[in-house]
Amino acid sequence: MNKTFTSRLEELLGSKKVLSSESELLCYSYDATPLTSFKPDAIVRAYNEEDIQKVLEFATQENIPVTTRGSGTGLSGGSVPVNGGIVLVTSAMNKIIEIDSEDLSVTVEPGVITANLHSAVEALDLFYPPDPGSMKISTIGGNVAENAGGLRGLKYGITGDYVMSLDTFFVDGSKVKYGTKCVKDVAGYNMTKFLVGTEGTIGVFSKIVLKLVPKPKTKKTFLALYDDVIDAARTVSTIISRKVIPSTLELMDQTTINCVEDYSQIGLPRDVAALLLIETDGHPAVVAEEANVIEEACKANNVRTLKIAKSNQESDELFTARRMALSAVARAKPTTILEDITVPRPAIPEMMALIREVAGKFNILIGTFGHAGDGNLHPTCLTDERDLDEIRRVHEAYEIIFDKAISLGGTISGEHGTGIAKSKYLPRMVGPKAIELMRKIKACFDPAGRLNPGKIFPLER
Amino acid sequence: MGKGFDPDEIARSLSTLDVHDYGDVLQCMRCGLCLPTCPTYRTDGLETQSPRGRVALIKAVIDGKMKASEEFVEHIYHCLDCRNCQTVCPAGVKAGELVLEARYRIEENRTQPLIKKFLLNYAILDQKRLSKLLAPLKLYQISGLQALVRKYDILKLVSDDLQFMEALSPKLPSRPLSEEISEEIPALGTERGRVGFFLGCAMNLIFADTSRATIENLTRAGFRVIVPKEIQCCGTPNIAEGERKIYREMAENTIRIFADRRVDYVVTDCAACGSELKTYREIFRKNPTFAGKAEEFSNKVRDVSEFLDSVWTSDIKLGPLPEIVCFHDPCHLRHGQKLTYPQRNLLNRIPQLDYRELPDEGQCCGSAGIYNITHRNRSMKILQSKIEAIEKTKAQTVISSNPGCLMQLAYGATHWNKSWNVVHISEVLNRSLRAGEKTG
Repeated sequence: MNKTFTSRLEELLGSKKVLSSESELLCYSYDATPLTSFKPDAIVRAYNEEDIQKVLEFATQENIPVTTRGSGTGLSGGSVPVNGGIVLVTSAMNKIIEIDSEDLSVTVEPGVITANLHSAVEALDLFYPPDPGSMKISTIGGNVAENAGGLRGLKYGITGDYVMSLDTFFVDGSKVKYGTKCVKDVAGYNMTKFLVGTEGTIGVFSKIVLKLVPKPKTKKTFLALYDDVIDAARTVSTIISRKVIPSTLELMDQTTINCVEDYSQIGLPRDVAALLLIETDGHPAVVAEEANVIEEACKANNVRTLKIAKSNQESDELFTARRMALSAVARAKPTTILEDITVPRPAIPEMMALIREVAGKFNILIGTFGHAGDGNLHPTCLTDERDLDEIRRVHEAYEIIFDKAISLGGTISGEHGTGIAKSKYLPRMVGPKAIELMRKIKACFDPAGRLNPGKIFPLER
Repeated sequence: MGKGFDPDEIARSLSTLDVHDYGDVLQCMRCGLCLPTCPTYRTDGLETQSPRGRVALIKAVIDGKMKASEEFVEHIYHCLDCRNCQTVCPAGVKAGELVLEARYRIEENRTQPLIKKFLLNYAILDQKRLSKLLAPLKLYQISGLQALVRKYDILKLVSDDLQFMEALSPKLPSRPLSEEISEEIPALGTERGRVGFFLGCAMNLIFADTSRATIENLTRAGFRVIVPKEIQCCGTPNIAEGERKIYREMAENTIRIFADRRVDYVVTDCAACGSELKTYREIFRKNPTFAGKAEEFSNKVRDVSEFLDSVWTSDIKLGPLPEIVCFHDPCHLRHGQKLTYPQRNLLNRIPQLDYRELPDEGQCCGSAGIYNITHRNRSMKILQSKIEAIEKTKAQTVISSNPGCLMQLAYGATHWNKSWNVVHISEVLNRSLRAGEKTG
């Protein structure tokens, strides 16, 4: 791309909004996905809808790709510009436009930080449950594009369950508003639900309406410690089979516990094989009843110790520690490669056993943590990108893990998205017919394939 | 720049940093959790202004994916070195330290300006020299010229930068503290131990009365205080500007001086000095002959709040101070030394003192050594956020424990017309001790 390209973009938007120096191109070449980096040709920071429209129209004229980006915390390469072109950053569009506490919804721009939205609505006794691990910096726009999950998924669902309406720009710069603030809305195809999780390959969101729920009155947090990771995994299915759905049911194995404790120093026991972080919330009477069932389920599965958080602060510390798990395991080795498989809950013990077996067979270090309550596990390889032989073994191990997850009726990605990282495995999971259909849908919206190319479907080179 | 700037040599030397190495650069898994705490990212919202971005830039230069351009150097100098990123990084990436080591490798490979060489390689070696350099400023203040200049805004006509620096400069004591006190000050009452006092340059030359209060607080706690007069600078300015040769010489000298005095502890009331002195063990880690001595020295170093909080027994009498206060954590205390509790414990012991927490989770004030002079616009934006946070606490007194922060916050108060006082924690503790004595 030549100099005039950038200068025309600057003319169009003002030089403040266009970044194109060598350092800037480098800094917008990555997100949180390991070993993935592609430089764009320019970066545009959008401040309003007009900027988005101008960029898309400009890119159409120039026939170049556009990749939308929030804070760049994605874990499947969703905001990495594989084919260069323009990276369209929406993080400066960060206004909470309206909190409708009468009708329980919130209208935001895509750049609002997830945790900022949490504190704004919680101040009004309202609740926006989706809480991805990166919520302190991730943006709502990115959460919607990736259909992000989090710790509260099993009881409250994930981002997509809260999206009511989306103002969306398409690749030619045209805009459509889908959805309403109505709880019921069956007019036409449900395009709102379709757009959620399309990973920036279909459109660019400029305004998002999210459903809110009342803030739970009370909660109880447990920390259950185990001498065998399989016992912890069995506890998960025992709780669910006894008809209790906790608001959080998280698992960490010994490797993860030690790394998290190294960082947070909140007194997690280093000698246990696994722990479960369990929380039930809601009306005090319900919480008390569910707490009994949870206790019994833990005891029925050889729990070593069962602790109850004494205060909100103690419970917050445990949750923060869990959210840090991915970054904390990164301290053990220079390179961290994580995956995002999800299996039906009764299959968790079998999946955990396979992960353990594979780690031994390929002689690699795997730390596993995850949202066991919804079957979503993050087996994470702690490795060193300079050791090419080990990296090869890591990939071989993941092949086996993916195949197992699929054979158990599970999925290759629970919440991180397909992106670049998992596009290779998608056909294996959904079959050629489904891929063909997805390609046709993509072509309807973006025939030239300029919107976030290389994601979901591997690039045809 | 330009002349005497060798990008290839910089790239080569970056691959062997100093204390850290390429493995520490790889440690960053780019999760982005450092972004919301970084003052420059909070100000600009740009990835290039974030710890994750800086580590990525260093990695790209080492990997040969980018040239060590002048723009790269600029980005490396945009960091305030507040180390907030190191506090929050779950993976243990030392982004701030990596930036400082990159500066070292940059400066090694480009010609140094004369003024910088004069300050970092010569002036800083001797506090008497530094004192003489400040003489014109002192004369300017004593003569009444300052009052005149300020009254008629004369410096505005000369240079905006000069006017800013003038406004930033506090009133200087007539003589440095080192020329006024004896080298050993006995404990009041039964002696509990020997404390070596590291009298930092800024405390000695600018905040002499504060350090006098610190020393009194120490003697009242039952410690004999030894103040070696021949100590040099702790080296913070050198390390911030990428100078490590003179730094190591001064550090070795300091370690020897305190070893000779056979002290039980080395206490300082300057957060920056404290942080640096505790870092000596890291800086000499790879030096087989000196590592042990550096380790032993750093283990003895205590910030004044950290020390008093651990030695003040319940029979210390503190008098009431009925005022609303907040504490601005110097980055070198909160992030450099990971200390948050001692200063709060001490303040909460003072009767009737209404302590309020600043609602910004340890953000930098923008002083950052000479950052407020080298990057004034950025520094002022960061200071403005700090002033807004202070405002929310309704504090009458803003307490801190680092000379740079004290000057910056005092400037901010004047600039934005705030009525609060800015003081060092030693002075607050000293007032309370004296009030306690009166009430018996």
